[in-house]
Amino acid sequence: MTDKIIELLKASGATAYEVSDTVTEGWEFYFIGHKLDQNRVRDVEHINVTVYKALEDGKFLGSASDEIAPTATEAEAKKIIEDLLDRATFVKNAYFELNKENTQIENKDYDVEKMARDYIEALQQIPETSTEDINSYEIFAEKCTKRYVNSEGIDVTFTYPSSQVEVVVNARKDDHEIELYRMYKAGSCDKDYIVKELTDTLRFGKDRLVATPTPALKKATVLFSTNDATTLFQYFGAKLMASLKYRGLSNWEIGKEIAEGVAGDKITMKAVKELPNSSANRPVDSQGAVIRDMYLLKDNVPENFWGDVQFRYYLGIKDSFIAGNFAVDGGSSTEAELRCGTYLEPVEFSDFSVDPITGDIAGEIRLAYYHDGDKVTPVTGGSVSGSLPELLKNMKLSKEQTQYDCNLIPSVIKIENVTIAGAE
Amino acid sequence: MKAEFSPYLRSIAAGLKELIVELSQYFDYVSVLSTDSVGFSMAASPRVKSITGNTLMTERGNVVRVYKNGLYSEYSFNLFDPDKVKETADKIRKILDAQISLLEQTGSQVYTTKMLEDEPQELFVEMETDSLPETTDLAKLMEKLISFSSEGMSLSEEIVDCNVRAQSTHVCKMFLTKNKDLRQSYIYSEGGISMTGVRGEKMDYSHNGVSDREGPHIFDFLGETIQKTFKELNDNLGSERIEPGEYDIITTPEVSGLIAHEAFGHGVEMDMFVKKRALGASYIDKRVGSDKVTMHEGAKCVKDVASYAFDDEGTLAGDVIEIDKGILKTGVCDALAALRLGCEPTGNGKRQNFEHKAYTRMTNTMFDPGEYTKEEMIASVKKGYLLSGMFSGMEDPKHWGIQCIIARGYEIIDGKLTGKVVSPVVLTGYVPDLLGSITMASKDYVSFGNGACGKGYKEWVKVSDGGPYLKARARLG
Repeated sequence: MTDKIIELLKASGATAYEVSDTVTEGWEFYFIGHKLDQNRVRDVEHINVTVYKALEDGKFLGSASDEIAPTATEAEAKKIIEDLLDRATFVKNAYFELNKENTQIENKDYDVEKMARDYIEALQQIPETSTEDINSYEIFAEKCTKRYVNSEGIDVTFTYPSSQVEVVVNARKDDHEIELYRMYKAGSCDKDYIVKELTDTLRFGKDRLVATPTPALKKATVLFSTNDATTLFQYFGAKLMASLKYRGLSNWEIGKEIAEGVAGDKITMKAVKELPNSSANRPVDSQGAVIRDMYLLKDNVPENFWGDVQFRYYLGIKDSFIAGNFAVDGGSSTEAELRCGTYLEPVEFSDFSVDPITGDIAGEIRLAYYHDGDKVTPVTGGSVSGSLPELLKNMKLSKEQTQYDCNLIPSVIKIENVTIAGAE
Repeated sequence: MKAEFSPYLRSIAAGLKELIVELSQYFDYVSVLSTDSVGFSMAASPRVKSITGNTLMTERGNVVRVYKNGLYSEYSFNLFDPDKVKETADKIRKILDAQISLLEQTGSQVYTTKMLEDEPQELFVEMETDSLPETTDLAKLMEKLISFSSEGMSLSEEIVDCNVRAQSTHVCKMFLTKNKDLRQSYIYSEGGISMTGVRGEKMDYSHNGVSDREGPHIFDFLGETIQKTFKELNDNLGSERIEPGEYDIITTPEVSGLIAHEAFGHGVEMDMFVKKRALGASYIDKRVGSDKVTMHEGAKCVKDVASYAFDDEGTLAGDVIEIDKGILKTGVCDALAALRLGCEPTGNGKRQNFEHKAYTRMTNTMFDPGEYTKEEMIASVKKGYLLSGMFSGMEDPKHWGIQCIIARGYEIIDGKLTGKVVSPVVLTGYVPDLLGSITMASKDYVSFGNGACGKGYKEWVKVSDGGPYLKARARLG
């Protein structure tokens, strides 16, 4: 069908076009305890088309996109393309150019059944006890084959694995039972990682049962040491998106430090082509741009913006792409050096969020460890909040790094003066 | 006019019924949900315009559900040729058998469930609408969005972006079994204005929207939200941080809806009862809120974006009273959870789209109105905040924790708004404490359908929620 659509696009009078065709084979297993609740298969193809039309002698470029069902007849596909060409005439954006550089890709095949089997076997290996166990889990394993074609000569096809497992863990003491939620995404299943992570989660569950209300600290030093720390760095990634910059939603500028008076570690962030077993490893982005390693932020100074070709063109940034993997350099202290003094270490939030526009951070504490010298107390309730643009001035990063799917970040981030609403 | 049912679904219905017959030779129960939903999504800001045919609910595809030996299995696909029914049936059987083989090899046991009943039933619903996304003059609509964006930008030099978006979807779904033939067609639309501003070093934003189970004509009302959005942006830009603590609060209907959704929305999705993941299961007929709290949930309880005729498992839409004067009466339930719990499904079995599993999901979740006015409620507060606008929420049905991130709080001292604004506000607490502290509800009754709801961190579906202004006491940070 895709070749037919390309033929129709060539004959349509469009100034330019893009087509992506993604075929997905997915296996899914849903368990309650370790009993199978449901098994599912996804066998789907999605073809998306974007049509461009030069307007007012090429001063503007209109565009419109839609999905064409793989079951569409030639007449239906032609009608959709004609409608898109009409729609493109009133979506008047400044002129830009699509990516042009074609690349050769070596493809590998992936075994969906093996990915699913590995997850099932990993979950069967978790060292459950009579008081800490697995409540339920959902396994998603898929192989995607994507072809991207545009009018500028790019025609690439690549295959990649994608998987995730959602796990709910219970812990109980007498009549009191709590749960912890985990979602792991990856290329394929890393059995050892899953077993280690979930073993740690069982321990967190045990501690949450004996947690006392979070004290009304008002302000405290907070240490982030879990996957939630990736959310902090997503704010930096967002501010370096070309679309946000072009729309005025990021005031960061290339060559200009993002904050004054920084007493802590400065951030160095890269977009990277590959991280081990990341679900975001791709040879090219969704618009055909070749992905490589690229500095985004070096010692708090923006070096590059990333994102859609349209917005990069407007900003005059040609050699960039839509990033999927991000790596943040380690800081000046070891993890052991950062783990000193009095601090709160939240390890479970209801939902930890950082607003990409304002940088406001917020999260209800489900479990944190309050470290006061050698004394460590599990606490629960209350919330963490603050303004990251302010807090980043006193942010310290560990030398050691940890990978969470598509993010490689310092394993520990220590921030001073964070607002804590206690639960006492 | 009526929203016409999909000609494509009509054209494949006979083939799908053949597929059901073919698969029934091997399985004890077979159903097919087929979808063909079209629409548009467009946006205009001062520097960028866009249009796409994709929305959260546009899709075309099928999901087959089969049952054998106590196990339900599903196959989602979008390449269906009515002339190749036997080949499709063979393919489905073989791949599901391969999955069962893997499960046997890994020693996995089945969570045995009874078989769904298949009583004869026919339904054909084409809901009324004033306009259709397919026939809307999109060029004119784009001009309208551009004019709203320009009007917003003209209000202050502090505004750096005013993004106006509009999306409308014509939903068509067909649910078939050997004995059932249910078909529905309806339109829902939603639009919004997001305004971002900068004052000194501070960047902030505000947003407002419109939504309804109606056609694109609702976007005419977007212009009425421009001034409100600007005022709220101005409030945010001038806001301070809140001093963490416990306060009396008045929630606007939008924030009331967020609390309804997070407190006893997710908490009484009864597939969570099956997994023993919800404390609510042991609180049926017990007090979970003050006697001012009555809460409805269902596709029929208001008309908004989640108001359909039947759910994605072929159960007719319902209207459930979850909490009656503070007493938890029941939850909402999908068809398989109902079989496992021995109760009736409530029409809340929803999928993100045909590719996804059906779960118990919310539709419209609403607090009932009360007897007071907003002004009377504000006047009753000695020291507290009027909470307005929402960013996000999260629940913990097992432990009844709640987290709501609210856009702003207006300080109230001695029954009067002081003009001081705090932003953002993180509301946390224990659900029964929060609902138990509700002492007043206003006469207002408004639903909001601009958001989407996930289960955990996935499975996004359209929902609406709302109610009146509420007075309560809560921990803010």
